[in-house]
Amino acid sequence: MTKKIKINIEGMHCASCAGNIERSLKKVQGVKEVTVSVIGKKAFVEADEKVSDEELKKAVARTGYKVISID
Amino acid sequence: MENEENKNHNMKGMNHNMRNMNHKEHNHSEPVEDREIRDWKKKLIGSWIFAIPIAILMILMRFFEINIVNEQISIIILLVLGFPVVFIFGFSTLKSGLTGLFRFYFNMDSLISLGTIIAYLTGILTFFMEISDYSGVAAMIMAIFITGKYIEAKARGRATQEIKKLLELGAKNARVLRGKNEIEIPISEVAVGDIIIVKPGEKIPTDGIVFKGESSVDESMVTGESLPTDKTKGSNVIGATINQDGILYVKVTKIGKDTFLAHIIELVEEAQGTKVPIQKLADKITSFFVPAIIILSILTFAGWWYFNGEVGRSLGVAISVLVIACPCALGLAVPIALTVGSGIGAKRGILIRKGEAIQTMKEIKIIVFDKTGTITKGKPEVKDIFSKVKESYMMELAGSLEKLSEHPLSKAIVDKASLKRYKEVKGFKVLRGRGVEGKIGNKKIIIGNSLLMKENGIFLKSFSERIEEYEDKGCTTVIVSENAKVLGIIGIADAVKEDSAKAVNYLNSKGYRTVMITGDNERTAKAIAKEVGIKEVIANVLPEDKAKRVIELQKTSMVAFIGDGINDAPALKQANVGIAMGTGTDIAIEAGDLVLVRGNLRGVVAAINLSKATFSKIKQNLFWAFAYNVVAIPLAVAGVLHPIIAEIAMAASSITVVTNANLLRRKRI
Repeated sequence: MTKKIKINIEGMHCASCAGNIERSLKKVQGVKEVTVSVIGKKAFVEADEKVSDEELKKAVARTGYKVISID
Repeated sequence: MENEENKNHNMKGMNHNMRNMNHKEHNHSEPVEDREIRDWKKKLIGSWIFAIPIAILMILMRFFEINIVNEQISIIILLVLGFPVVFIFGFSTLKSGLTGLFRFYFNMDSLISLGTIIAYLTGILTFFMEISDYSGVAAMIMAIFITGKYIEAKARGRATQEIKKLLELGAKNARVLRGKNEIEIPISEVAVGDIIIVKPGEKIPTDGIVFKGESSVDESMVTGESLPTDKTKGSNVIGATINQDGILYVKVTKIGKDTFLAHIIELVEEAQGTKVPIQKLADKITSFFVPAIIILSILTFAGWWYFNGEVGRSLGVAISVLVIACPCALGLAVPIALTVGSGIGAKRGILIRKGEAIQTMKEIKIIVFDKTGTITKGKPEVKDIFSKVKESYMMELAGSLEKLSEHPLSKAIVDKASLKRYKEVKGFKVLRGRGVEGKIGNKKIIIGNSLLMKENGIFLKSFSERIEEYEDKGCTTVIVSENAKVLGIIGIADAVKEDSAKAVNYLNSKGYRTVMITGDNERTAKAIAKEVGIKEVIANVLPEDKAKRVIELQKTSMVAFIGDGINDAPALKQANVGIAMGTGTDIAIEAGDLVLVRGNLRGVVAAINLSKATFSKIKQNLFWAFAYNVVAIPLAVAGVLHPIIAEIAMAASSITVVTNANLLRRKRI
C-alpha cells in the first residue's frame, strides 16, 4: 500500500532548492514518487505505508530546509 | 514581540488547517508567503540603510577619486558598514548557501554566499597584501540580491493570487439548526448531517443537499459558470457559493477536506508540482548548474591570474561569474508559468491536472467527443412511442423491466411510464450496450436495440421504417418485444447542450478533426453529429471499446478525448489529452489531464486556448532564461562586467521570468 503525503517546506525559494529536496526525498527507502513545487513550497510524496514522517523530515532537513508540517 | 505572537498564531493555524481547509485564518499557504515577503522587506530596508552610504563612498572613490579619509580608513569604513549587510541581513542566505555547499546540496544561495564572502575577505586582505578591495562590492551584491528576492517574492505572490483566492473562499461560520434554535458556530464544528440555514446574500458554508427552500445560487467562484443555478429540494449545493434570493435549509453532506472546494484546491496545488516535458533540459541543467558555475569561477580566476597576473582583478572577475549565473530563472521559468496558467484556469472552472497536457495540447489534431453527457445533456427523454398493442400495456412491461436497470435510457422509459405498481420480473439480465431481458409471468420480454433483436431472431418487419424515421430525428430507438414478437418502439432523445454547436464550429474552423463516439446506432448518431457540426461519427461502440477506438485514431495523430470521466475513464486515459467534464457538483477528478468543473463544450475551447497560451509563455520563459545565462556567463568570464552589474543582471533575470509569467493574465482566453 502506498500513501500520499504533502509536506509544507519553509525557506525553499529557488529552483535548485526544489531539485535538491526532490533528490534527497527520492533517496529515502520506500519513496516512489516525488514532485516538489517551488511556488507552492510543498513536496508531494508517494511512498510505502512504512515510510515515517520522521524519515521524510530528515531528508528535507538534510538539504538545509525546514519542514513546517506534514499532511 | 507582536511578530512572535503572530508567528505562533500562524503556526497554530497551519496545524489546524490540515484538518480544515475552509477556515480563512487557518490558511497555511497564505501566511507563509506573506511572512516571507515581510521578512525580505525588513532585510531590504535594513541592508540599504548601510548599502546607500557604501554606494556613495564607492562612487566618490572610484569615479571622482575623492578620498575623504585615507584609503585604509575608508576600507575600514566599508568593512564596518558592509558587515551587517552581508552577515546580518544576509544571514539566512549565507546559512542556506553554506549548508548547501558543505552537504553537497548546492543551491542559488551557495553562489551568492561564495561571491559575497570572498569579496568581503578581499577588504581584510588589503591590510596584508597587495589586492583590490571588494568589501563594498560584497555589501552591494547582498543588498541587490535581497532587493531582487523581495521583488520576486511579491511577483510570485501575484502569480499565486487565484489559488490564494480559492483558499480564502471558504466560509468561517455556519448557522446551524439545533433543535428549534438557530445558532452560529465556526465551520470547523459543523458535522455531516447538520442542517444549516443560509439566508439570501450569504455564503453557503459547506457542501450539502437542499432540504427545504428554493433559491438561485451563484456558483461562478467555483465552477466558472456565470449564470446562477436554481436550487430546490434535493439539489446539491457547493460550499463557498453565494445564495442569492431565497432561504435555503441545507443538510450537510461534506465537510473540511472532503468538500468540493477543498478538492479543487488540492488538485490545483498538486498540479503545480507536475512537470512539463519541455522543462527536462532546464531541470537537468539546474541540477548541476551551481557546482558547474563554482568550477567555472575557479577556472576563470586561475586563467585570469595566469594571463593577467593581478590577483585582485582576477578575483573580481571570478566573483562576477559566481553572482551572474542564475539557475533560478531557469528553474522558475516553467513552474511559474504553469502556476499562473492553472490559476487563471481554476478561476474559470478549468483545472489543469498535469503539466504535460499543456505541452501535448499543441500537437493535438483530432478531438474525439463522447456523445452522451458531453455533447448532449445526458438526460434522455422519451419523445415518441409507436406500438401495435395498447400503449399503456407496452409501457407497463417496459417500465417494470427498465426499473431494474441503471442505464440513462432506462430511466427515461421509467419516467415516461410513471407506473404506480411494477410487475414482478424474473431472470432479469442487463445485456451491456444492447438492452435488457427478463420474464414477466410466463412471457419473455426483451427490450433493447435492433442488434439485440437480431441476436434473438426477432424480426422488426414493418417497424423498420418507423425506426429509421426516429433515428433520422436523432432519437435512440428502443424496441420492446414479447415472446419474440415486437410490440412497439420507443424513441428517446437526449437534447444537445446549448453551446455544443458553437464550440464544435469553432474547433472545426481551427482545423481540428472532430469526431463523435457513441454506443448509439449510426443514424441516430449522425443526426446528432449533424446538429452540432461534427463531421465524423463512430457509432455502435460498446463502452469498453471506446479506448480501442482512440488507439486506432492515434495511429494517424495525437488525440484529445472529451468525456464525462465516469464511464469514459479508460478512453480519457488512453487519449494523449483527456478532458473530463464535470457536472457542477460532481467531478471525476482522477480521470482527466484537464478537468472542466462545469461540463459544457465552451469550456473545451477555453481549455485548449489556455493550454496553448500557457505553453507559449513557458517557451518564452525558457528562452529568456537560457539566453540570459548563455550571454551573461561568457561576458562575466571575459571580465567585461563589474560584479555589481553582474548581480543586477542576475536579479533582473529572475524577476523578468516571474513578471513575464504574470503577463499571461492579459491574454484573452
